Amino acid sequence: MTTKPRQAARARLLARLNESPPPFGRIEHRGTSAFGPSLSLERFRLANGLELLLCEDKSAPVVAFHTWYRVGSRHEQRGKTGLAHLFEHLMFNETENLKSGEFDRRLEEAGAESNAGTWLDWTHYHVAVPKSQLPLVVRLESERMGRLVVREPQVQSEKEVVANERRYRVDDDVESSVSELLWATAFQTHPYHWPTIGWMADIEAFATEDCVSFYRTFYAPNNALLVVAGDVSERTLLPLVQRGYGGLEPSVIPPEELRPEPPQVDERRREVHKPTSSQKVAIGYKSPGLGDFDYAPLTVLSEILFGGRASRLHERLVRELEIASEVRAFVSPFRDPGLFEIFAAAVGSHTAETLLSAIDHELAMVREQPVSEAELARACARLELGGVSGLETADGKASTIGFYETVLGRPNAAFERLDALHRVTASDVRRVARRYLIESSRSVVLVRPTVERGTEAAQ
Amino acid sequence: MTDTPLAAESTAAPLPSAPTVLVEFSDAVPLATVSVALRSGATEDPDGLEGLTRLSGRLARRTAGGRAPREIDAAIDALGGALGVDTSHSTSALHGTVISRNLDSFIDTVVDVLGRPSLDEAELARLVRETEAARVEALDNDRGVARHWFRRRMFAEHPYGRSVVGTSRSLAQMTRTHVQHHLARTWVRGNLLLACSGDISEDKAREIGERIAQAVPLGPATEARVPEPVGPVGRTLLFVDKPERTQTQILIGCLGTHPQDDDHMALYVANTVFGGTFTARLTREVRSKRGWSYGAYSSLPIDKQRRAFSMWTFPKASDAAACLSLELKLLEELVERGVTAKELAWVKRFLVRSHAFAIDTASKRVGLALDSVLYDLPPRYYDSYIERVNAVTLEQANGALRRRLTPDHLLITVLGTERDIGGAVREAIPHLATAESVPFDRED
Repeated sequence: MTTKPRQAARARLLARLNESPPPFGRIEHRGTSAFGPSLSLERFRLANGLELLLCEDKSAPVVAFHTWYRVGSRHEQRGKTGLAHLFEHLMFNETENLKSGEFDRRLEEAGAESNAGTWLDWTHYHVAVPKSQLPLVVRLESERMGRLVVREPQVQSEKEVVANERRYRVDDDVESSVSELLWATAFQTHPYHWPTIGWMADIEAFATEDCVSFYRTFYAPNNALLVVAGDVSERTLLPLVQRGYGGLEPSVIPPEELRPEPPQVDERRREVHKPTSSQKVAIGYKSPGLGDFDYAPLTVLSEILFGGRASRLHERLVRELEIASEVRAFVSPFRDPGLFEIFAAAVGSHTAETLLSAIDHELAMVREQPVSEAELARACARLELGGVSGLETADGKASTIGFYETVLGRPNAAFERLDALHRVTASDVRRVARRYLIESSRSVVLVRPTVERGTEAAQ
Repeated sequence: MTDTPLAAESTAAPLPSAPTVLVEFSDAVPLATVSVALRSGATEDPDGLEGLTRLSGRLARRTAGGRAPREIDAAIDALGGALGVDTSHSTSALHGTVISRNLDSFIDTVVDVLGRPSLDEAELARLVRETEAARVEALDNDRGVARHWFRRRMFAEHPYGRSVVGTSRSLAQMTRTHVQHHLARTWVRGNLLLACSGDISEDKAREIGERIAQAVPLGPATEARVPEPVGPVGRTLLFVDKPERTQTQILIGCLGTHPQDDDHMALYVANTVFGGTFTARLTREVRSKRGWSYGAYSSLPIDKQRRAFSMWTFPKASDAAACLSLELKLLEELVERGVTAKELAWVKRFLVRSHAFAIDTASKRVGLALDSVLYDLPPRYYDSYIERVNAVTLEQANGALRRRLTPDHLLITVLGTERDIGGAVREAIPHLATAESVPFDRED
């Protein structure tokens, strides 16, 4: 259908839906934008503030239905860390119309793939189903947005599960526990100080009232975004969304109690002992937020230094010096400034200090000498491959759209970012290296093994 | 009732002078994926040279066309590509994805890997050192360590018990001659399959097949004869001792089925009832009701011969004995009483509808077609998946459970700190026949 007939059909559909809508169900079309070279995004909004983005894509007979809540661990307080993540677990429990376990059971019976994730800035629930099962998903998702039942037994049980998740992901995992310490060291005021999963003592101390209050405050249509991608038309989707969500009242979202992190003026160094086979080092340099102009050049710099086996650091530390078994880095994709996080594991008896010194040498080089055009091209091509690969499935498209809309308010920013990467110059890369890779404002964690290898020989 | 197309519809075009080519076109994203797969894997490693298949593939990848490894990596990266070598016990593959506008240049490198690797001695030595370092680093991964020991004991001297990566001892033995002989025997035309998917036409795929055919010598498919494995006798505990564990990794299992087995589909369906979904019995009892483990699943992988049926949980150390005891009871009940008609009907709806996500991309569809050939699956194994799921009766499902799962003959692997929980774990296992403890970092 070409643009004009499509607009006319939409106008007729909205007129019909808005004749006698539910209390908060009036739907407004807020615009159309391109999503890549061949797809488009339609933006709608219900009267209760619920935003809806639709990406129609008939490449497979499936639909991804994602719900993003604009609440993450950054919205928590000290002493109540991990609440956003615990709540993610509780969202799979009882509702007014579904007894405990029914939510998952019905989704699985529909053939759904579903899960959820919580991070610093958001909480994300994702479901993908064969397209014929979409009405069920809309019913279930709207049910738990508005009519979740939070009771003591479920809270106690999920606290146990989350504590076990923490043991699995953090306490008994060397790299994750080191990363947690690095962030806690680098951020002392901003909520990025604490881990999304929460401190164990806080997880164990949560009361049911904490969870009820959290739900009433943050789980409301005006704090949520629906992203729907796949083989579904707006003619099918909009009546379902109106029926499911049009009766939900908006809540009053409190202003965020956030204190920016003061500039770091001294290197902070920690040393830990872990049951691991080799020494390790983690380094965190303060990095810009995802929406900052410098984010793209810093990502390119990270690729040049650490991305893949042809990167400078892999070549130097793993191949030439043979002092590291692996070395990698990650630029945090958060709304506020985060960390350019580097991790390296030593080979044999090499020390964390040896690794740090070798990394420092390479970082000094990139602050001094401009990178080559070939390095720039390699980095951009790798990032392009990563970006495009994430868009193959309906689920991947919905995740990408929802992530960028939630963090930046720009659902097609994935493509803007690809364009920005191709505009990055060697001068940009050197500038961000000089601006962000500053030793006096970094945090470092040195890891020493507590385990002597060769216990067999000692027996 | 079907919600989705019945199965993959890949084009299979045997070519007289080239490997079989499987193609699945899609222009959903501008990516092309190419897999050059071998009908043989790590079970082909000679005795004492475990890891040779994997090492040989990786060395060829690093020395393609006689170029330096960094030059090769940089060239692939610059094309927006990724190229790796995957090795399992029964198959291996050179697997790559590239932004489709750069496909031709990417294929040049693929052909160089297959036809012109220099297999440089110095690079081999470096690769051995890197593999050994990565093997040591992998000891930090408790789940991986527990799975390693479970597999080693479950399959003992059987080829499935071998390490795909290799051991310190075997890696130290490898020479360039070993690699050359191995590649000369396995990287031959009759042993290769080509699978292409994404933004790549059938004509282009055939052209690539022809180029690959020119790059590798003629030769027959390897005749891998993997014997039938023998399962555990009695209940055996293998405690993998690692210090300072707040949490355990528990794997409990026996032999499962293989795709040619009459019980295969019935057991697959029954296992899904037991531990194959988030609301399955095992997850419900261990996680939802008791909160003991973040995850609780059972699995039934396929291969040319029977692989292991296994249950996996990871409770905190103080819950390990109780969790283990519960799992044994659940397994006994499953085999004794079977699944119910209601459970069977429900799980069929789950399996049939969720099949949509096994075939929603071109790369998944061609992957199924490729597996069908590589694993010698019965004709129309995936094409008839939905009808075969729907055809499973209650009697077949419960019969398969009784015939194939052996609660009295189990391997129980627990990774944890033995000093803290070893005694409680042993007491939690009724009729324990043998118990063994190994340090987590011992080579077996």
